[in-house]
Amino acid sequence: MASKQNKMTPQQQNYQKLQQKHEIKRPVLKNCLKAFLVGGLICVIGQAISYFYLYFFNFTEQNVGNPTVATMVFLSMLLTGFGLYDRLGQFAGAGSAVPVTGFGNAVISAAIEHRTEGFVLGVGGNMFKLAGSVILFGVFSAFVVALIKTLLVIWGVL
Amino acid sequence: MNYIHRLILFACLILLSSCNQHQQVKDSQLAFMKTTNLNAVITDRNKSLDRVKEIKRDVSRVPELYDVAVVEGEKNTLVVYKVKHMHRFRMKKIEKNVTEMLEKKYPNEKFTVSSDYKIFLESVRLYERMKTAKFSHQDAEKRLKEIVKMTKDTK
Amino acid sequence: MLKGHQSWVFANRPMISATGVTGGPFEANGKLANDFDLLYEDLWMEKESYEKAHRLLLEEAIKITLLKGKVQKEQIQFLFAGDLINQITPTSFAARTMQIPYFGLFGACSTSMEGLALASFVVNYQGAKFVLTGASSHNAAVERQFRYPTEYGGQKPPTAQWTVTGAGVALVVPNDPLLQEPVTTSATIGKVIDMGLTDPFNMGGAMAPAAADTIIAHFRDLQLDPSYYDLIVTGDLGRVGHDTAFELLNKSGLKLERKQFQDCGLLMYKDDQPVQAGGSGAGCSATAVYGHLLNEMKKGTYKRMLVVATGALLSPLSFQQNESIPCIAHAVAIEMNGERG
Repeated sequence: MASKQNKMTPQQQNYQKLQQKHEIKRPVLKNCLKAFLVGGLICVIGQAISYFYLYFFNFTEQNVGNPTVATMVFLSMLLTGFGLYDRLGQFAGAGSAVPVTGFGNAVISAAIEHRTEGFVLGVGGNMFKLAGSVILFGVFSAFVVALIKTLLVIWGVL
Repeated sequence: MNYIHRLILFACLILLSSCNQHQQVKDSQLAFMKTTNLNAVITDRNKSLDRVKEIKRDVSRVPELYDVAVVEGEKNTLVVYKVKHMHRFRMKKIEKNVTEMLEKKYPNEKFTVSSDYKIFLESVRLYERMKTAKFSHQDAEKRLKEIVKMTKDTK
Repeated sequence: MLKGHQSWVFANRPMISATGVTGGPFEANGKLANDFDLLYEDLWMEKESYEKAHRLLLEEAIKITLLKGKVQKEQIQFLFAGDLINQITPTSFAARTMQIPYFGLFGACSTSMEGLALASFVVNYQGAKFVLTGASSHNAAVERQFRYPTEYGGQKPPTAQWTVTGAGVALVVPNDPLLQEPVTTSATIGKVIDMGLTDPFNMGGAMAPAAADTIIAHFRDLQLDPSYYDLIVTGDLGRVGHDTAFELLNKSGLKLERKQFQDCGLLMYKDDQPVQAGGSGAGCSATAVYGHLLNEMKKGTYKRMLVVATGALLSPLSFQQNESIPCIAHAVAIEMNGERG
């Protein structure tokens, strides 16, 4: 930030100081609380679904995650399609963006948005325009972490 | 704003109603919330119940665990337990320690040790079914093998 | 006639003889719902895409204006209009439907006053008898272009603004002294001001200095005192930008009163609508001015007003490349006919 401000003219710096006075601040504490509650609630629902699969299907705790994630993403897809998830997102912020439902929402909202350009160029080409970076950097960081672990094992640290 | 309140209320209702359907609650239904403290089970009539109880006592002595269930069959002995919340980070290590301890003490037995909740649940269900007359020891043995196989699948 | 450095005075006082204003469902719940001629209850407006709905808004606004002005579209010489979508296609496509000679304008959210200033200038010098001018925006179409998909659950900060779904069109004709209609008397064309702000969720803060600069230039060029106008209304500064602009103006020595200085973005919606800092978009100033404010003038609430429409000249590409947001503002003075001097 400091280097960025150096490039500005004194006039711009003065104005930005003045403007910051009027800027409405994000209610950070309130947002955190809301994100905590809604995010927690989403996880409670996820936990309930995973117990459902444990009790009624042949899934063990090791692999019950797969059907649970699929169900949660499906639910968020429905909510996105009915136009509810974006309002939940405005209310909860990170609380609804961080769980896997947020990922489902990012994919499906882009798909709905670009439906008007057709299936190939529209839906196909744009579906991952928000989620694509999540996938790319997720895979990349998993690769780096795995590399570090492998090296540590080879060197005998772990 | 308003619809979020409704959504939360709705979710709570679903949670409440799911716990309240049957008057008579079996142990297996609430196994995820309370300690069932199951008796030791043998599915093979030739094995001695005392020995299984001893195994259970040994495993229960491990401080990180609570709620231990032991099911002994013809070949396999299934040991399932719950890990205390703060120790769940070290689950893999605990599993290794318990297996080593048991194998040292009972060199002739083949142990399947698991902390998986699904396996625990199935053991409780097996126990409940064995209490009813219809369920024979052969059936129990078969079911035990299935459960043991389930633990292998996940590894 | 040029006066001062960057202002025109329209000696022949071109007249706004009719206006047409259309809006969407969110505006129908807003404070100004009664001043719209046509309101749609659905964002799709029975079209397959938001862009087509956007075009429909403008087409309908033009048709309503023609009907109210009692002219045929063949009589119209020029159409000055624009919007926010890439290559202003909704406006160009509407112009294709209407078959009116057309100037496509892009001044972001300042398009409404850019168009009115040019239309008045042309009419003032007998360049045309009937000129249509207008601007439009469609919430979902603009959101998808500039921000995230409409259904994406991202949290907007309180400084963000809500793009108005609506179109406002005005018919500008030569003055008829017998009619009690609003007339345009002067206009100030603004220059692009960049104060180095980069947050696209805080357009108001970026645009405020442009608005202040144009207002100061207007009073300097025309040698007027702010008390000359009953109302100085900015386009879509929103809560943040409006407060900032007010402070900038007061610091510059212009004596404005709080109730004399208003903002279309703040007029548009009720307090309980989730619009964060207020309305924005090309349609914001167009619908508020051609609908609500001109109606108020005809009722006699205001006699002279200065409309300052502000625009943020960014593109989705430019802010992703970390460019700052350059802004512009154009001012047009509107008075009631016969209120000379």
